[in-house]
Amino acid sequence: MIVGVFSLLAVALNAQDKFFTKTGRISFHSKAPLETIEAQNKAATCVLDAKSGNLQFALLMKGFEFEKALMQEHFNENYVESHKFPKAEFRGQILNNQDVNYSKDGVYPVKVKGKLTIHGETRDVETAGKIEVKQGRVMADANFSIQLEDYKIEIPKIVKDNISKTVSIAVDVNLEPLKG
Amino acid sequence: MKRRKVILVAIAVLIIGGGWYGYKEYTRKVPDLSRVRPDITMDSRQLISSFEQDEAGSNAKYLDKIISVRGTVRAVERDETGFYTVILNDGEFMSSVRCSMDAEHQQDVAGLKEGAGVTIKGACTGFNSNELLGSDVILNRGVLVK
Repeated sequence: MIVGVFSLLAVALNAQDKFFTKTGRISFHSKAPLETIEAQNKAATCVLDAKSGNLQFALLMKGFEFEKALMQEHFNENYVESHKFPKAEFRGQILNNQDVNYSKDGVYPVKVKGKLTIHGETRDVETAGKIEVKQGRVMADANFSIQLEDYKIEIPKIVKDNISKTVSIAVDVNLEPLKG
Repeated sequence: MKRRKVILVAIAVLIIGGGWYGYKEYTRKVPDLSRVRPDITMDSRQLISSFEQDEAGSNAKYLDKIISVRGTVRAVERDETGFYTVILNDGEFMSSVRCSMDAEHQQDVAGLKEGAGVTIKGACTGFNSNELLGSDVILNRGVLVK
């Protein structure tokens, strides 16, 4: 009976079920013989369900910021056609969610799997990542690569040496508890 | 002979001019919006309402446009790297206009108070909707107009 009361108390205290952000940082990096192309999006949304390990990301393609205007224009107009496919999203799962203790500060390695949609194409993605729980907030980061052809993003032969077929993506989010 | 010399000089000018133009175009940076005239000036209410009613139509109208948005500050958020986002919401909508401030104009909004009336100029990147978090019209490269 005492164990029962204690577990009820633990559940009541561990009321933080969902965590979110609207300022998630997602960047990509493409290294090819002639140049390196990088861009960052600082307005990705992310929702993490601590109970189920359900994890979702969404961002607007036009929110990727490049150093060179010409690269940003080519990216939007020719490669990802953001006027036709304005959003990219990821819907997935933390496979070992039971290994993460969201009420105890610490760093937890995780494995994430889900469906990534870019340029209207959806593909399965699996990656290792890291969750850090600190003072009620959850920081998550991961790095993985994608093949542009999987998302039907075409590289014209003329710029073949400027753009790599493989692009690495870095995810870095700082999540706060979602109230209500 | 003189004519041939003129032609050669003209060709040289074209080549150098072309090369110079190519270089400038290649290294062109995204312009600071404080120096750019807005394509559209509107109320945050109008902008939100437009996207809520017709997202596809609003995308066609507003994506990539430089919009000067007037609204009431609901909140000023600062992310963990120090970047400011101003949220405009006049209270009637579930959705807001989120203005990610330009890297060079962060200090424009450091002192902004909740409830203040402001005009922010930014590039429209679209409408990010989420079942749990609500929907927002997102502008980036924001600069404070007044």
